[in-house]
Amino acid sequence: MSVYFPQKLLPYLLLMPQLVVTAIFFLWPAGQAVEQAFYQEDAFGLSRDFVGLDNFTELLTSSEYFASLKTTMVFSFSVAFLGLAVALWLAVMADRVIRGAMVYQTLLIWPYAVAPALAGVLWWILFDPSMGPMALLLESIGIDWNHFVNGDQAMILVVISATWKQISYNFLFFLAGLQAIPRSLIEAAAIDGAGPSKRFWDIVFPLLSPTTFFLLVVNLVYAFFETFGVIDATTQGGPGQSTTTMVYKVFNDGFVGLDLGSSAAQSVVLMVIVGLMTVVQFRYIERKVQY
Amino acid sequence: MSDLVLRNIGKTYANGYQAIPSIDLTIEEGEFIVLVGPSGCGKSTLLRMVAGLESISQGDLLIKGDQVNHKEPAERDIAMVFQNYALYPHMSVYDNMAYGLKNRGEPKSEIETKVNAVAQMLGLEELLTRKPRQLSGGQHQRVAMGRAMVRDPKVFLFDEPLSNLDAKLRVQMRVEIRELQRKLGTTTLYVTHDQVEAMTLADRLVVLNKGHAEQVGTPMALYERPASTFVAQFIGSPSMNLIPSSIENGVLQLGVDSQLACPQFSTDKVMWGIRPEHVDIVPLQDADLSLQVKAVEALGAETLIHGSVKISEDKQYPFVVRLSGNHAPDIGQPIGLRVPQQAWHVFDAETTKRIEPL
Repeated sequence: MSVYFPQKLLPYLLLMPQLVVTAIFFLWPAGQAVEQAFYQEDAFGLSRDFVGLDNFTELLTSSEYFASLKTTMVFSFSVAFLGLAVALWLAVMADRVIRGAMVYQTLLIWPYAVAPALAGVLWWILFDPSMGPMALLLESIGIDWNHFVNGDQAMILVVISATWKQISYNFLFFLAGLQAIPRSLIEAAAIDGAGPSKRFWDIVFPLLSPTTFFLLVVNLVYAFFETFGVIDATTQGGPGQSTTTMVYKVFNDGFVGLDLGSSAAQSVVLMVIVGLMTVVQFRYIERKVQY
Repeated sequence: MSDLVLRNIGKTYANGYQAIPSIDLTIEEGEFIVLVGPSGCGKSTLLRMVAGLESISQGDLLIKGDQVNHKEPAERDIAMVFQNYALYPHMSVYDNMAYGLKNRGEPKSEIETKVNAVAQMLGLEELLTRKPRQLSGGQHQRVAMGRAMVRDPKVFLFDEPLSNLDAKLRVQMRVEIRELQRKLGTTTLYVTHDQVEAMTLADRLVVLNKGHAEQVGTPMALYERPASTFVAQFIGSPSMNLIPSSIENGVLQLGVDSQLACPQFSTDKVMWGIRPEHVDIVPLQDADLSLQVKAVEALGAETLIHGSVKISEDKQYPFVVRLSGNHAPDIGQPIGLRVPQQAWHVFDAETTKRIEPL
């Protein structure tokens, strides 16, 4: 849709607030980060030296950085897969409920309203090795739970807390997607001799694929870039580096380790990854997922 | 042996709503039965009960002598064409048609032979690799038919399959469906709200009203001897003229100023009816009835004259006359009508059922 304004100035004036916000809170800091990435700054921020690509070469030769890349991958794909699978399962169940459907749906949406840090604390308390009810429950069935010591368990904990919040969001989209599938298609498949699980995998799941792909991208982006709060509140990246994702490392190296140059270089790498994901997302959404 | 038997079939929903009180119907092999009625009369519910998509609350449903009340849709060996066709949008035309056969575990080569044979019969050979979204409305319809035919079921079920097509295509597909059904000889149950479709397709019609079968019979039987005012008005277009009247001492009092000689009936309060096409125009002085002309619809081959008949000082009843050829009576003027007695339909005013002279 095109709208024509009589004056030349008005459209720019109307766009101004958004442009100003973008410039001040995104472009400027991003530019700073790119600039910073080429300097080495002392811990007090009093002086800095131009070091060229040293920050990047150091990153790419650091095994620690690749460890955090691997952690990020494991974390992100676990969160995305678990979040999609559980949400889809819940949506299929909620779609079948006839009586009290609204109650289920409303309750399942609530976690999305919980702040990330609170969600982290919630799970941190539930799984606290000395007093958390979940930890005690696990202990009673013979699993020794201590995520302060055990890196794998710490990873499981952050995956659970990050996923829990995202399930609500995914659930909403899946439920809408399921409700958009005409009942007669399912009935036609039933007459064609397909049982419930075959109907799901042959008819429902393929028809949900646009929704699934959209959510996969959204969830990956979420797990990659927006889980700082959850990790900080739950494990602070530990034990060791076992839950230090790339985003968490940016914060940790920059504001705890005060190595601003390296932190900035890592931000630049993340920016490139976001860019790549966006390109992949658009290419795919336009081409592959349609029927 | 009868192909499809509905014995005292009823449907009551969990909330206590009785959609279908009780219906009995015996359908012979190869018969084309049309369930017709206004929306909400229970015709689709009945069809879905036969399909197994809706549970049966009471009675027995027999297909080829087997009771199938509790069988899954797939086990009943029926095929259904849906109103919106319900083609699987992510599958090609071929896969849409083959899906049921694949689920039955038939060998690939056999599936291919069957699908190709049906595709050829329906003129779909060129379209087999296309996806449903690349098809036109009529092609959708054909693929949906093909999907039903390829499985060679015992019974075809159609749920208003033509209502999404434009008028021209509807007429064409109507003829095609009838031809195909004759050729295949498969027992068919067809639901529609369109009485023209019902009349042209059916071997026998079932007129449903609020879950009751008002009348079952051939289209001509229903047209000539409707069992109730509901059937009388539902079958035929424009629908039958009905005027509340009384009969006394062999005289039918029709409107305020018309008395006609009439045989005796069991009741004196009646609904008197005549079809628009059975009325003639005559000079006013020879008329049985006078009609105040309100509107004239000239359709070329025929003319519809809409008017009203005065039944009391302040009450008028609408009345339609259908004449062949072109006529142009003056609007606002009265015209004379002749209503031959052999074309009358008389119904009990209270029960609305058809009554015959004593």
